[in-house]
Amino acid sequence: MRTSRREFLQSASAALIGLSIKGGKPVEGSFVNDSFHLGHQLRDRINFPRPTQVVKRTVVIVGGGIAGLSAAWRLHKKGFTDFALLEMNDQAGGNSRWGVNEITAYPWAAHYVPVPGPKVTYVRELFEDLGVLKNGQWEERYLCFSPQERLFLYGRWQEGIEPAIGLTTADRDQFRRLEDHIHTFRASGKFTVPMELGLSASSADLDHMSFADWLRSQRMDSRILNWYMNYCCRDDYGATTSNTSAWAGIQYFASREPEEKGPLTWPEGNGWIVRRILERVGKFVNSNRMVYKILKRGKGFTVSAGDTEYQADFVIFAAPTFLAPYVVEGMTPLHDFEYSPWLTANLTLEHLPNSYGADPTWDSVFMESPTLGYVDATHQSVRSHVDRTVWTFYWALADGLPSENRQLLLNKDWSYWKEAILHDLERVHPDIRTCVSRIDIMRMGHAMARPKVGAIFSAERRNLAKAHGRLLFANSDLSGFSIFEEAQYRGVYAADRVLSQVVGEEGRTH
Amino acid sequence: MGIPLFITVLLIAACGLIYELIAGTLASYLLGDSVLQFSTIIGCYLFAMGIGSALSRYIDRGLAYRFVWIELLLGVVGGFSSALLFLAFAYTQGFQLLMYALVVVIGILVGLEIPLLMRIIRDRYHFRDVIAHVLTFDYLGALGASLLFPILLVPYLGLVRSAMLFGIVNVAVALWSTFLFAKQLASVRALRVVCIVVLCGLGIGLGEAKRITMAAEDNIYADEIIFARDTRYQHIVLTRFKDDIRLFLSSHLQFSSRDEYRYHEALIHPGLSAIPVPRHVLVLGGGDGLAVREILKYPQIESITLVDLDPEMTRLFSTHPMLTALNRKSFSSPKVHIINADAFPWVDSNTDSFDFIVIDFPDPTNYSLGKLYTTAFYKAAARHLSAQGLMVVQSTSPMFARDSYWCIAETLKQAGLRTYPYHVYVPSFGEWGFVIAGYREYQYPTSLPAGLRFINLDGLPGLFQFPPDMSPLPMPPNRLNDQVLVRAYDQDWKDISH
Repeated sequence: MRTSRREFLQSASAALIGLSIKGGKPVEGSFVNDSFHLGHQLRDRINFPRPTQVVKRTVVIVGGGIAGLSAAWRLHKKGFTDFALLEMNDQAGGNSRWGVNEITAYPWAAHYVPVPGPKVTYVRELFEDLGVLKNGQWEERYLCFSPQERLFLYGRWQEGIEPAIGLTTADRDQFRRLEDHIHTFRASGKFTVPMELGLSASSADLDHMSFADWLRSQRMDSRILNWYMNYCCRDDYGATTSNTSAWAGIQYFASREPEEKGPLTWPEGNGWIVRRILERVGKFVNSNRMVYKILKRGKGFTVSAGDTEYQADFVIFAAPTFLAPYVVEGMTPLHDFEYSPWLTANLTLEHLPNSYGADPTWDSVFMESPTLGYVDATHQSVRSHVDRTVWTFYWALADGLPSENRQLLLNKDWSYWKEAILHDLERVHPDIRTCVSRIDIMRMGHAMARPKVGAIFSAERRNLAKAHGRLLFANSDLSGFSIFEEAQYRGVYAADRVLSQVVGEEGRTH
Repeated sequence: MGIPLFITVLLIAACGLIYELIAGTLASYLLGDSVLQFSTIIGCYLFAMGIGSALSRYIDRGLAYRFVWIELLLGVVGGFSSALLFLAFAYTQGFQLLMYALVVVIGILVGLEIPLLMRIIRDRYHFRDVIAHVLTFDYLGALGASLLFPILLVPYLGLVRSAMLFGIVNVAVALWSTFLFAKQLASVRALRVVCIVVLCGLGIGLGEAKRITMAAEDNIYADEIIFARDTRYQHIVLTRFKDDIRLFLSSHLQFSSRDEYRYHEALIHPGLSAIPVPRHVLVLGGGDGLAVREILKYPQIESITLVDLDPEMTRLFSTHPMLTALNRKSFSSPKVHIINADAFPWVDSNTDSFDFIVIDFPDPTNYSLGKLYTTAFYKAAARHLSAQGLMVVQSTSPMFARDSYWCIAETLKQAGLRTYPYHVYVPSFGEWGFVIAGYREYQYPTSLPAGLRFINLDGLPGLFQFPPDMSPLPMPPNRLNDQVLVRAYDQDWKDISH
């Protein structure tokens, strides 16, 4: 059969065109782990069915995030087993929840713990128990692998997130002055992890202004320095410098020694810690048990969750504190607690995109982006060849009112957020759409406590944080911000307080 | 009328010179000896121009029509000349033949241009003016091209695209001539269609030039390529020059068949001969089967487990006759078990114990490979050592990458092992280093397998001596969370090349 010249030209030109068109793949995915409908049931005080069974426990822990699990871990470690932990979702872990697909495990939110200094005793104790710290040595495989972080700016990648290229003399001078200030604050011992240990009334002034105002008062107007400060506040607090207390902004830097060789991290982020804790206390954890009523009854409490009424002598309320007034009978509304809405997404990549020759890192951040960039879940793999991977994309909706951002989270559909995420990534990886096959998105209306101006020295916060009596509050938001060490500290602290009371009472009865 | 005509002369002169310069530059790049290349190419080219001029007298009708066709042909031949030469060099053996053929064809066509043009326009001007103007613009064009070429074309466009661009200029001149000489042409429309089609072709060529150069450069190695394949993990290239077979993995030389015996005897025998009763051996990396060939010289060995990431690599060295001749069909031995897996996870999950472990990975050129040189990896590997077991690690060059070499030794030490560093001279690599490591003390062997060409008992202690320029340097260990080795290796080679 002879091909006509026309046919030949047609097929040849089609082949040439075909070579030059890049294939965009359809991206699958959905919203996952939505839990706002549960929260809204509490807020709207819908009628829950009456419990049909009664369970007696000395201690009931409300909430299975890091605070609640840490309380459980502490009780169990001290040989105390007469307790139950009630978790609203089907998976415990709270902000440390994780997922698994055929490629890797990956985090849904919190994904690392800074290497704890010598004073962070509870965290060190936990890590010794989990085999992360052995004979004073950190397990190498749990420290973040090289290269750790990179920042995309001026069309290229640099190693590390603190901007180091394109700085003017004025920028450098301001970074240096800030460093000097931080050094002084650190040396004062008033900024510690956990925060409660060093908190001093003499630094209350700093809590009465925003971090942005403090930077201005120190004549730090460098655009690049302010971007970096803003990035840090968005990353740890989900807030901008102007809606963060200056005390909290300083705490971010002054509470830790600068350490280069961390942090501690795992493919599933802090989900790894949750998994290890669950191996120890999983049998005490009851998931899909939303607590909707806590009533004072005699010396103790009745805690209603699903079809069960728990009768307890002590309640450790480790769920986010803003939920308490909707659940605890007779509790007055709270005013000083504000929360930042977040969105995280897990992207399945069939192959890695072009990175302009830069080595792939654990954490990748883009300058001047409203998002926080992404973390590569396979970075902590010891494999030397990785083709498919999962990226966890972080986006704190830090700008504007939290309530409006929560509405935005609820109102926009999955494809809106999918496009927003891809659009953001396209700025640094133009070929990202040829790599991504799936994007699952998790929306969190109250993802983390926001240390707004006045939050740290709020009388309301400090009063609840004392954790006294038989209803003890333990969520990390009692520190004013949500980080692992604060949650773990408050959980362990509450458990210790309960144990000392239980032991005291037993001593009297015997 | 005058100016456009003389611009035409200027342009065609520039095109002709550009093709000549491209051929000369390409030949110098690829073959070396630029004096020879430029001399012969200029000579051939000028000679061919003479042939063209001589041939011009046989053309007596349809001068303008033929001029347009000559421009078209020049555009195509010259435009694609550079791409063709690159590909010919990469994929054929006829590079030089093709190059001189192209130079001659282009020279003949260029030689025809000016005589024809002068005859076309001779009726419009005085003969005196024709000669003066045409030659003036001819030389001007040559000056322009010779300045443009090194300053703009080579640095910004490269050779392939420069040729395409000037091919386009030639064809544009052809198209332009159909307007200039419209009165002397019969089938103007048909000629213009041809011009436009050729222009499109060259335009596509210009757009795809990068792909062509990449395709060609991937295949340009110094010697004849007998095998080249992109696997999922790396780019495998085998070259042969006379009796020397060389293996390149992602452009890094792995061995030369002329002296690999030195490398592989040194890798295996100092360690393996020191083990009283070796029965089970593990090889990590080493997909070329050459280390296994040496290990098979110990008849008491019962099993050799080889873990290599790339199945293409082990398949190639199991089947290619030239390569199985080199590794003496070591992969066909019933004692050998080949496992294609990523070494670190394999070492983590496997529980077997071995009397000798050979760690022979590519140099730590990136963070992924660097993981295989960490305290965590060596600890995991050492868990597989039997009571009498030792391991040996390929450790880069203590001469050219001194920091890296001593960093690897320190890393093994920090993994809790005793270390015994040694080095040998491998001509194709230079000074090369290894480290024997284990929980027990290493003592020199008292016997070696028969028939070794390099390692002998008398020379052995000398390998463990380091002269001052390779002597130990204090280095931190390489850890997963702080891969100092990758940075040190990068720096070591930067220092060498500058």
